[in-house]
Amino acid sequence: MGNTSTLFKGLKEFFIEIGDLSNFATRFFKEVLKPPFEFKELMRQCYQMGNRSLVLVTITGFIIGLVLTLQSRPTLIQFGAVSWMPNMVGISIVREIGPVITALICAGRIASGIGAELGSMRVTEQIDAMEVSGTNPFKYLVITRIMATTLMIPILVIYGDLVALYGSALVENLKGDVSFQLYFNTVFDALSFSDLVPATIKSFFFGFAIGLVGCFKGYYSKKGTAGVGVAANTAVVMASLLLFVIDFIAVFISDIFYEL
Amino acid sequence: MAKTKLENLKLGVFVVFGTALLVVAAYLIGNRQNMFGKTIPVSAIFKNANGLQNGNNVRFSGINVGTVNKIEMINDTTIRVHMIIEEKMQNHIKKDAVATIGSDGLVGSMLINIVPGEGKTTHIGPGDELQSYSRVATQDMLNTLNQTNENAALLTQDLLKVTRSLTQGKGTFARLLNDSLMAKDLHQTITNLKLSSNEANKMIREMNQMVKQLDFENSAAGVLLKDSISGNKMRNVISHLENSSLEIENMSKNLNSVIGDIKTGKGAINYLATDTVLVRQLETSMENVTEGVKNFNEVTEALKHNFLTRGYFKKKEKKEKNNR
Repeated sequence: MGNTSTLFKGLKEFFIEIGDLSNFATRFFKEVLKPPFEFKELMRQCYQMGNRSLVLVTITGFIIGLVLTLQSRPTLIQFGAVSWMPNMVGISIVREIGPVITALICAGRIASGIGAELGSMRVTEQIDAMEVSGTNPFKYLVITRIMATTLMIPILVIYGDLVALYGSALVENLKGDVSFQLYFNTVFDALSFSDLVPATIKSFFFGFAIGLVGCFKGYYSKKGTAGVGVAANTAVVMASLLLFVIDFIAVFISDIFYEL
Repeated sequence: MAKTKLENLKLGVFVVFGTALLVVAAYLIGNRQNMFGKTIPVSAIFKNANGLQNGNNVRFSGINVGTVNKIEMINDTTIRVHMIIEEKMQNHIKKDAVATIGSDGLVGSMLINIVPGEGKTTHIGPGDELQSYSRVATQDMLNTLNQTNENAALLTQDLLKVTRSLTQGKGTFARLLNDSLMAKDLHQTITNLKLSSNEANKMIREMNQMVKQLDFENSAAGVLLKDSISGNKMRNVISHLENSSLEIENMSKNLNSVIGDIKTGKGAINYLATDTVLVRQLETSMENVTEGVKNFNEVTEALKHNFLTRGYFKKKEKKEKNNR
């Protein structure tokens, strides 16, 4: 009986959370097109989230491409299909690994950052002060951040894909004597718009989800210093989970349009 | 303020490069699918698409020249495959070119191969339909393999019978395989053959040496072999010999008839040859003649010593001396 009530309580909290998140998203869509537009803040946030994540994404992408190629090589050699490495790695990275890994890295860095930043602002009553002073904190703090993540994540994904492919090409060049030109020619031969377009569109949703969850958790964080930590932590967990859910849905939708 | 400007510059560079990368990637992918650039549509009809999909490559002599645009089912046995081909390749592809469905490597994706024809026709134009050749489907291959397997099974059965007969010593081949005496004989024959061939070689070598040693200019053999005038003479001689032999033949025939006549008893010769009494008489006569001659010599000697005739003989001797 106790377990059932706990389950119901947990389910209730989960649905409340989803409901609050949906309301938060609705509010975003309501206010995003309404002036005034905080361009300067948007630029600042884009810089913070885009440029500042570039190194992290580059290192991660390079290692992922390198490791994926190194790990796949023995199996492909066994099948005598090592020449198919660029096709396999290219499609894997562009379709799935690139967007998901980049988004997860950004979820860890950006969602936690936003959660902690907005959470501390909530705790120190800066958000309340903004409301009192007549500034719309939602527009200034939330919309700019969600917009920034929505716009920056796809670009970071493109960078990440390129660096991962470079890492893979490097391994093939050093171990398999495949020139960079041949490697990238084979990759682009294998790729089609059905690989690139869904992955790019998906990246916008990933960015939106990261920004939305980070802002939601930070904006509604509970009072006290512990609330900031909880906000940052739950923002990362929820954003990561949401990324996989979006990825799952995106694959189904892509399949409808492109017959993958 | 300056910091914000620098940040904005960095952000601008980041966004521009990121977007440019996306555009370049899209262009490269689109270019490979002939989305940019001038293309012409052509089609080909197949019985089986063999898993061909939209976007698969079209190759002409091994070069990617286009992509499959649309696959249309016309009826239950006819599939029309629409392709787009680069306009610049139009001049190289003639109307008698043949389109086949193949695969890129053993496990690669499907593609259309356009094989050049004899090249006597004009080049293709937009909307043209290429001739097609449906490659052998996997099922057909399996059916053929099945037939081959059945044949192989029959063959192995027969082979088994043959090998059994061989091992049991039935038939000529089995004897060849099993009979040790025959093997020895064969071995001996081969040895003899070898010896004979060695001897023949030796003889040929000697003959070669003889031929080399021949003086074609001066020796009789050289004249015989080389001199055309002597050859003609020889030919005449041979022809004369031929005539002579004919005459000899005639003569021998005549002789035969004469001998035949003699044998049959016609004429004096047969009488002389066959009558033994006559022979005896002749012998007696000859003895008498010899005795007569002896007596005559005695008489002549007596006459030489007679005073009446002695002068005649002396005169004769003198005349003979003078003549010498």
